Formats: sequence, C-alpha cells, structure tokens
Amino acid sequence: MRKFGLRQLAMLAPTQGLLILIIALPSLYVFWLSFTESSYGKAPTFIGWDNYAAIWNDRYFWRALVNTLIVINVIVYGELVLAFLLASVFAKGVPFRKTLLAIVLMPYAISEVVAVVIWKFLLDPNVGSFAKAMAAAGLPDINWATNPTHGLGLVSVVSIWLHLPFTFILIYAAMLAVPKELYESATIDGASGWQSFRFVTLPGVMPAIFVALIFRYILAFRLFSEVWLLTGGGPARTTEVLAIYLYKQSFTYASFGKGSATGWVMVMISGAIAAIYLRLLYSRGFKQDA
Amino acid sequence: MRESLASIVARTLVILLLIVWSAVPVALVVLSSFKPTAEIFTYPPTLVFEPTLEHYRTLFEKWPDFIWTLRNSAVIALSATALTLVASVLAGYVYSRYRGGALAGSALFMVAIRLLPPIVITLPLYPVADFLALSDSYTILILLYATFFVSLGSMILKTFIDSIPDELDQAATIDGASEMQILRRVIVPLSAQGMVAASVFVFVYAWNEYLFAFIFTTTKAKTAPVVISEMMGSLTGVDWGLLFAAATVQLVPVVAFVALVQKFLIAGLTAGSVKG
Repeated sequence: MRKFGLRQLAMLAPTQGLLILIIALPSLYVFWLSFTESSYGKAPTFIGWDNYAAIWNDRYFWRALVNTLIVINVIVYGELVLAFLLASVFAKGVPFRKTLLAIVLMPYAISEVVAVVIWKFLLDPNVGSFAKAMAAAGLPDINWATNPTHGLGLVSVVSIWLHLPFTFILIYAAMLAVPKELYESATIDGASGWQSFRFVTLPGVMPAIFVALIFRYILAFRLFSEVWLLTGGGPARTTEVLAIYLYKQSFTYASFGKGSATGWVMVMISGAIAAIYLRLLYSRGFKQDA
Repeated sequence: MRESLASIVARTLVILLLIVWSAVPVALVVLSSFKPTAEIFTYPPTLVFEPTLEHYRTLFEKWPDFIWTLRNSAVIALSATALTLVASVLAGYVYSRYRGGALAGSALFMVAIRLLPPIVITLPLYPVADFLALSDSYTILILLYATFFVSLGSMILKTFIDSIPDELDQAATIDGASEMQILRRVIVPLSAQGMVAASVFVFVYAWNEYLFAFIFTTTKAKTAPVVISEMMGSLTGVDWGLLFAAATVQLVPVVAFVALVQKFLIAGLTAGSVKG
C-alpha cells in the first residue's frame, strides 16, 4: 500500500469539500443559531439555553417526538418482518425470479410524492379501491384526514411501501451468502427445517439485519415528505413529526433559534441511535467470531 | 427434498400478496391515467376500457409548465449523477489504494456526517443560497443531491476498485503512466459496474427528491415532484385523472430504468453498506 500525500488529498477534495461545505459547516452554524434568537432580517442575539427550554416546555414538541418514535418503530420493524418473510420465500427459489424481483424493487423507483398520490387514492374513503375492499371485508372505515392515528397509520404504510425494497435487498443478499455446505452438514447432523433456520440462517443474516436496522432507523428518523403531503401535521398539529415541527418552527413561525434547537435534538437522537446499534453490532459480531 | 403442500400454498400466497402490495398500486395508476374520468372510480376497477388521452391533454393544457419541470428534473438528476461519479471515483481510488491515519479519519467523517438529517441544514443554507444567488437554481439542488450521495458512492467505488489487482497499477506505472492516466485508462474502465451501481442510487434519488426541491425552488428550477404535489393540493378539488397522467409521466422512465439495472442496484447496496 502506498503512502498518502498531498496529491491524494486533492483527489479527496471534491468528496470531502462537498461534505464539509454543505453538511458540516452549516450544521455547526445551526448549533450556534440554536443558542440565539433570530428571524428573517433580524441578526442573531445570544440567549443561551432559552430555545432548548422553550421547546422542552412546548407540548407540540413532545407530541412530535412521541409521534416520531412510534412511527419509526412501526416502520422499521414492520419493514424488517415483511422483508425477512419475503427474503425467505425468495431464498427458497421462486418461479420467474427476475420478474418478481423487479416487482419487489418497483417502489424503490417511485417518488414520495407519487407514492402519496397512489395511496391517497387507494385509501380514499369515497373512491379508493383498497378502502372499498376493506369495507367489503367488514373492516372499520379509515378516516386518515380527521383521525390522527389513522393519519399516522397511512404515513407508516406509505413509508414501509417505499423502503421495503431497501431492507429486502440487504437481507436477501445476506441469505444468499450463507454457504450451502452449512445447510448440507446441518441436514446430515439431523437438523429439522426449523433448527437449520434457527442455527444456520438466522446467525448468517444477523449482521445484515443490524445493518438494515441502523440504516432504516436513521433514515426513517428524517421522515418529512409523507407526513407533509398526507396530513401536513394536522388536524390541529396532532400528526407532526420532528422534521415537520422543525420546518414549521423555522419557516412558518420564522423562529430560527427554536428550529435550530430542534435540529440539534434530532442530530443527538440520530447519533444516539447509531451508537447503540453500532455497539450491539460489534459486540454480537465479536461473540460470533469467538 | 419434497415440499409439503402447505408450504407450497403459503409460498404462493406470499407471492400473490407481494404482487397486490407492490405492483398493483402502480399498475392501477398507470392504467387509470388512460381511463375516461367516470371509469376511474368504478369498483372493482375495470381492466377493459376504451383508452383515452384526455387526461394527458388536460395535463399539458392546465399545467403547461409540467414539461419544463420534467426537463429541470432530468438536467438536475443527470448533473448530480455526473458530479457524484467524478467525486466518488477519485475518493474511492484513494481509499482503495492508500493507507494513513488521516485517511482513516476522513473515511470515518465521511460515513458519520451522512447520519445528519437533511432538514437540519436547510435552515442555514437557505440564506446562504439566497446571498450567493443560488436559490431557485439548478446548482443548489445539484450540489445538495451530490453531497448526500458521495459517501455511498465512494464506498461502492472503493469496494469495486479493491477487486482490481494493484499489479495492473504497478505495470502501468512501469510503462510510465501517471496516476491520472492510470485512473482514466485502467480504473475507470474496470470499475464501470461500480459506477453504474453508484449512479442508480443518485439518479433515482435526485429524480424523485421532494424536501430540498420544495424548500429551495420557486419557479425556474422547480422539479416534477414539486409540481405533482401542487396538483394534489390544488384548491379546486383533486382531478385524479390529471394527477395519474402526471404521475405516470414522472414514474415510468425511472421504474423502467431501475428494472433494467436491478442487478447493479443489488450489487451496489451490498457493496456500499454491508462491506463498507
């Protein structure tokens, strides 16, 4: 391996430059803004922890935080279960594999906006085919525009629909990578189908499951468009998530300080999620190798 | 090994549910965009109908700008892809071939900084973009989209370049090639698959992205997803036929593209997140 020098630094410059200029410096500036009071055409004045105290005492912030935590857990674990089920079916072999794979991946190519159009139509209480099929099956009506639980439920459905392909690919690829010999020797040792699943498949895909969990937790935490386009955070601010709360503080109420403080709370929570899962991942990984 | 009847039935059921979940919603929108308005709302949905282009006609009459926003989306997505590729090949090469403490630190920074929620940086970038006369411009979106994918791009390219033997570089060096020539003549052609894999992610993201486009554009650089969201929220009530026509135009090219390059998508995702 060669030694890293100035020329190589120049080759890294486009990548690192973009990351520093567009993400790192602005987020440091947000950190400073979170300790100031500022608005359109008003220079920031330092006010210490007041913004953090203000959002701490704002019940809409807590509502948004609780909504976010519930919704991302529904999304991430819902996706994980579905992806695992699908991957197991695919790993056993399916007819028309390529076509079916293209079908699984299809939502990956679809914009959040179009996904919202699609599901808004399918679940429209008056005209939607899925809503009518559900009514015919005797299920209660869904009123996602007026009932916050239904609203966030629909948000979760759209989000799972959009991101299932991502989770599926990670787990499916890991299942395919489990060496065939392991299954063969398990069978020779007299393992049942359940046992070879429990002791061969599951340990083999565990690292991929953790990777999928970390990635999806962090990405789901950013949830904005689905909520913004479906409920706008309403009715009466009951379906806001943190990103919506941040947007409204910053751009609707023009309180840059509170918006920034919310931003740093989000950064901290993302970081904490990543740290917890990375720790779990490493401790598991080392135990398995031992 | 013989499979039991129950497991065959269960498997068929999963596959059928998958099709209803994943493909039927999209197919319904595309089909409905060719249906006469009255038939869009029939239940169960009709499969045989007299196709009509009336919704496409209304789309281009009522929203003449839509075609321009598609063009904006295409230009922005292609430029963001090109920028990401150039940056990622250079970085991927360095991460693959060189070692050093500073390098390891910068790789960690590259991965860690990606964890930041994008909405956090909209607030400070908004006035900066305004000051630099970049708001409502292609440039701001191209830079933003590339920035959020250079990390994954570099990781994917590093993994692919790792599989190109270093002996090829050495042979080229002996023949008197400079590092830039090695990159152009050896690395780029041999890592073409990785470049396709990386471009799928950026292109799909940039073509479909909503948050940044919604915040940073007003008229000139507005992208197709933003206009579709405006159609959905129009005060006169939702014209579903028109919305389906617009959605179809926006989604068909990218769905076809993803189906075509699906094996690169899978390769890229596993290279970028599992190994990287």
